[in-house]
Amino acid sequence: MTGDDRDSGLAERRGVDDAVVYQPAEDSGLLAEAAIDRAHGRVLEVGTGSGWVAQQIADERGLDVVGSDLNPHAARQASERGVEGVVANLLSPFRANAFDTVCFNPPYLPTDPDNEWDDWMEHALSGGESGRELIEPFLDDVGRVLAPDGVVLLLVSSLTGYDEVLELVADAGFAAEPAVEESFPFETLTVLALRRE
Amino acid sequence: MDVVCCPLDKADLDLDVDDRDGEEILAGTLTCTECGEAYPIEDGIPNLLPPDMREEATA
Repeated sequence: MTGDDRDSGLAERRGVDDAVVYQPAEDSGLLAEAAIDRAHGRVLEVGTGSGWVAQQIADERGLDVVGSDLNPHAARQASERGVEGVVANLLSPFRANAFDTVCFNPPYLPTDPDNEWDDWMEHALSGGESGRELIEPFLDDVGRVLAPDGVVLLLVSSLTGYDEVLELVADAGFAAEPAVEESFPFETLTVLALRRE
Repeated sequence: MDVVCCPLDKADLDLDVDDRDGEEILAGTLTCTECGEAYPIEDGIPNLLPPDMREEATA
């Protein structure tokens, strides 16, 4: 294989990946801001998408960052950014106490079940009917992988129901404090910092 | 990668390397020491989806 062949293969692959992988947006910027400020130790970003947030943490803080995603195209993009990419369903293949910081910008748009479009972009955006369908299992399991003095950085949109998420957080045994917050025309985004109570 | 375990039973994984580039493992298999389920590593990326989701994800 010549160098040219390799390059065009990569460009083609990247084109496909871009079309089916969530690319950085305002929510990503806000999560990166909070994470650069608060991340420590070994870091996991769940649902890393393009890997951009994970890369910001690795570059700005010099920390080891693992980026996981259900979408293999996303894990590959993250890997190309120098993040350790893993294909995973939420937290299921990570060891107990493995991470000091866990970041998650969940798919959070409430979606009418009749309107689900069933492709990679839907997985990246839709939080099911409530908008919280991935936040619940995430909160149920994150205490397991989090080291004793660890912090969870969770992005919450007002579209998802801020108070409802706070209730889930408390039920999971965490105390929440807003790390950063920003208002946009259609939603307010907050990154919550969660610590064990 | 010492942070991963079997997604089904959280047991340790055994690593078989097929291809490596220095430190990085490009291709290989992670096998659960408890249930024996095998998880592929391709292009340096481990796929740790449980088997039923893995089929769906590659379709």
